[in-house]
Amino acid sequence: MSNSVISVISRFLEEYTTKTSNKLKVVDAYLFYILLTGALQFLYCLLVGTFPFNSFLAGFISCVGAFILGVCLRIQINPDNKGDFLTISQERAFADFLLAHTVLHLVVINFIG
Amino acid sequence: EFVCLFSLVLLTVALGAQALTPSHHLSLSDVARLQALLSQPFTDLASAYYSIVGLSKLGASVADENDACHFLKAQLDPMSVDSLFFAAEASQAISDCEIPVSNETRDILLAAVSEDSTVTQIFRAVSALSSLGLPLASQEVVGALVARIAKEDNVLAITTALQTATRLSQQADFGGILEEIEDLAARLDDLGGVYLQFEEGLEATALFVTAAYTLSDHVDTEPPLKEDQVIQLVNSVFSKKSWQSLSEAFSVACAAAALSNNRFQVPVIVSAQGPATVSHNQPILQLLVTDVLSNPLASASVVVESAQAVVSKNVILTQAPFSLRDGIFELNFMTSQPASGYYQFSVAITGDTRLVASQVELKVKVSTEVAITNMDLSVVDKDQSIGTKTSRLGRKAHDSHQNFAMTFQLVDVNTGVELTPHQTFVRLHNHKTGQEVVFVAEPDSKNLYKFELDIAERKSEFDSMSGTYTLHLIVGDATLENPILWNVADIVLKFLDEEAPAAIQSKTLYMPKPDIQHLFREPEKKPPTVVSNAFTALVLSPFLLLLILWFKLGANISNFSLSPSAVLFHVGHACMLGLMYVYWTHLNMFQTLKYLAIIGSLTFLAGNRMLAQKAVKRYGLC
Repeated sequence: MSNSVISVISRFLEEYTTKTSNKLKVVDAYLFYILLTGALQFLYCLLVGTFPFNSFLAGFISCVGAFILGVCLRIQINPDNKGDFLTISQERAFADFLLAHTVLHLVVINFIG
Repeated sequence: EFVCLFSLVLLTVALGAQALTPSHHLSLSDVARLQALLSQPFTDLASAYYSIVGLSKLGASVADENDACHFLKAQLDPMSVDSLFFAAEASQAISDCEIPVSNETRDILLAAVSEDSTVTQIFRAVSALSSLGLPLASQEVVGALVARIAKEDNVLAITTALQTATRLSQQADFGGILEEIEDLAARLDDLGGVYLQFEEGLEATALFVTAAYTLSDHVDTEPPLKEDQVIQLVNSVFSKKSWQSLSEAFSVACAAAALSNNRFQVPVIVSAQGPATVSHNQPILQLLVTDVLSNPLASASVVVESAQAVVSKNVILTQAPFSLRDGIFELNFMTSQPASGYYQFSVAITGDTRLVASQVELKVKVSTEVAITNMDLSVVDKDQSIGTKTSRLGRKAHDSHQNFAMTFQLVDVNTGVELTPHQTFVRLHNHKTGQEVVFVAEPDSKNLYKFELDIAERKSEFDSMSGTYTLHLIVGDATLENPILWNVADIVLKFLDEEAPAAIQSKTLYMPKPDIQHLFREPEKKPPTVVSNAFTALVLSPFLLLLILWFKLGANISNFSLSPSAVLFHVGHACMLGLMYVYWTHLNMFQTLKYLAIIGSLTFLAGNRMLAQKAVKRYGLC
């Protein structure tokens, strides 16, 4: 049983490193970074408590929001998905990414207190 | 409708008629004080005049008349009208005193009677002439007075003019001078419906009263003053009981004399001799009926029109006359056998048509003595309803299973009627602790007083302190002559759950209460700074990881075109991020949005341009 899990994982990793383009890997690295940051923030909250709660929420939601937007970007610039996003070019995806982030940052900064 | 209106008018008239009675007059001590003030030794001719004439108005006379006469003659200045006036008037009041008169004197006085002298001068000249028995032309005087009044329109001048008119011959045509009384009366100030006086003061009011009545008597015409006005004037003139100057005292004496002895209106003063209380021991109600100088009106007859009980509204007496004895009017009220309480007497004084304020309302109290009868003390077990009767004296021990009951009746000693006084209390007093509990005994429908003490129920009032309590019965009322405080018995109370007898629960109701400490909102527990800093570093560390990963992936900026739009885009974007930081530290949302709009639009335009260029490069499109 565990054998198959390990084999699945190793197969996945292999395919990932070979098949995905550099551009996507860059974005993936960025996503991984956001994930770590969010997880660490959550850990801190669990350990120490929710004071000040608004700051925790702002930080955590910032991570979550950034992750989602990053995922959106990744989906939209993946050439394999081009069929689904005919009207949206890569540049357009990037521009959307930036605009959404602006709004997210505005809200987060407002909430961080 | 008409009947209603008519009866309303009648009612108002009736009420109005009974409304006002004099609240002030000169009692015998006041008269004595006035006389004492007027009996001061003379300082000059004016003071001699005030003293001598004032005393004569009060029916008294100066200590030494001969001395007075000599003084007058010595102080006289035959050239001065004022001097002649004072001397002449004063000498008239003393028997056997004559001021020497010469032709010169007469000429001086006659010359003063003219339109060019003041009213006071005219008055003094005319009075001197009349007192000295010299002839004077009344018509001329009237003419001069009328002319002067037109010029001197103040209260004192017109009053003096009225006084002058009293010295003239009765056949003279007084013309408009008589109307001045009414005009002056209209100028009086009404204070609260009780006082009527001139704003010039007491002296002016008193002089007006004197002048009005003297002149009315002189011309035999009723003064145009209504009854209420007369009473209000009486109140004003006699409300002041100590007089500041001799002239003020003199004016009050003149007014008192005028009000007690004129032909038309004599205010009558009715008051009870002592407290207006009658009882079995003192059954006679005594009334003093006098004039304003406290001289008894012997010719009057006093009748009780009705005596009505205040509470029950029963009319006990109608048309009962008072009998006169030694100047005091008496009535034996107890012969009508009134029950104890308050009675409203409506008294009428007749016998003289001149009397003013002859209807008086008086509140009379009938008091009596109370006796306690049929006193029963008993201890009733709660489970049974039948009580065990015990004797009145002795000590009783009770505990929480029993009720203590007391019944009694209160009767009027003289009539045997049952009474319900205002205060019937049962007081239990613990000698040791000083505790006192008071209960009210209430009468039932048959006027039998009952007091029941449920010991278990009432233990909170006793603070559950067992011990010996003295029981007092307290009976009191305004109409009782013998209020009762009777130690009926001593009872021993036993409470089941007794608290520690140490502390007497002194009522700390009025002592300062314990301070309330305000609890401020405690700040939330913050983690130690070390932990926070450590985690801050930890949270920032993935960024390093990101940079490492990107480096490993080979991400670079080699494709960075230095086109203006690209530069502008990156600069703009950097500015936007910087704005976020500034927003966090300094700005508010509105300012941020403003800056964001500016920078954002620039960045957008630049970015658009840049990305388009990139797209062109990539796809080879134009």
